Amino acid sequence: MNEILGIVLAAIISWFNFVLIDTWMGLPESPGVKGAEVIGRSVQKRGGDLAGGFFQGNIVCSPDASAGTLLASIACYAIGMPEGGLIAAVLVYFGNRICADPGYAGTIGALSITVIIYLTSFVGFKPEFFIVGMVLAILTIQGLYHTGASRLLGKLAKKMGRYTKIS
Amino acid sequence: MIIHANVFSYLIALAAALILSLVLRLPLLPDKPMRTSWTISAVFPTAVLSIGFYAMVSELGYQGYIVALTTGIITALFAKFILEKIVPIPEGDESHE
Repeated sequence: MNEILGIVLAAIISWFNFVLIDTWMGLPESPGVKGAEVIGRSVQKRGGDLAGGFFQGNIVCSPDASAGTLLASIACYAIGMPEGGLIAAVLVYFGNRICADPGYAGTIGALSITVIIYLTSFVGFKPEFFIVGMVLAILTIQGLYHTGASRLLGKLAKKMGRYTKIS
Repeated sequence: MIIHANVFSYLIALAAALILSLVLRLPLLPDKPMRTSWTISAVFPTAVLSIGFYAMVSELGYQGYIVALTTGIITALFAKFILEKIVPIPEGDESHE
């Protein structure tokens, strides 16, 4: 498969993998730690959405599905399939627990991207596509335009019934 | 991509961890709502840890059904007796959860 096309498609797959799992696991509902609340409020002050801000704060403050997706891709590339993904899931779980997070989102994200990497390998995707793809996916949430990204995340949280009750 | 791992070894590690953790009276699933539960249960994280730990020892060169069985047993004991001491529930979260 063409590398550029592979990276773009991997970025889209990674984006949906981590955003859907993180939203499903309730990242927009409440800040897990004080830092996530500070980020959420700051995003809201700048015209963003509070639930989306909490989502952004939570993924900064603990390794959730975003980190799980990235680490599992790196581990699959470095160690192999499926050992890399399984080892990444364990490491993400401990990272989560250290960061005051029960660990569901990160672990599920690592395991799901391992399955995705395995399945997409049959159509020519390589784990390295997902490493670059995930970096690009996280850039769209954390690096380009915070307020716009938070509004999109807030809308998604509303649709999935995970919008914050905190005002 | 070809999976070169022995799937049966992973299943043995998983089954051993699940069965022993249930024998050790860990709940099968976390409390509801699961996404905010800190309960250590048989399925999460014990089962996930068992296959992850087996992947680690397998990559270190120790493979086979006996190793898988031992990993599963040790993981269940680890989840029951040691895990909460290493990564405790953060203070103030007991009431919140």
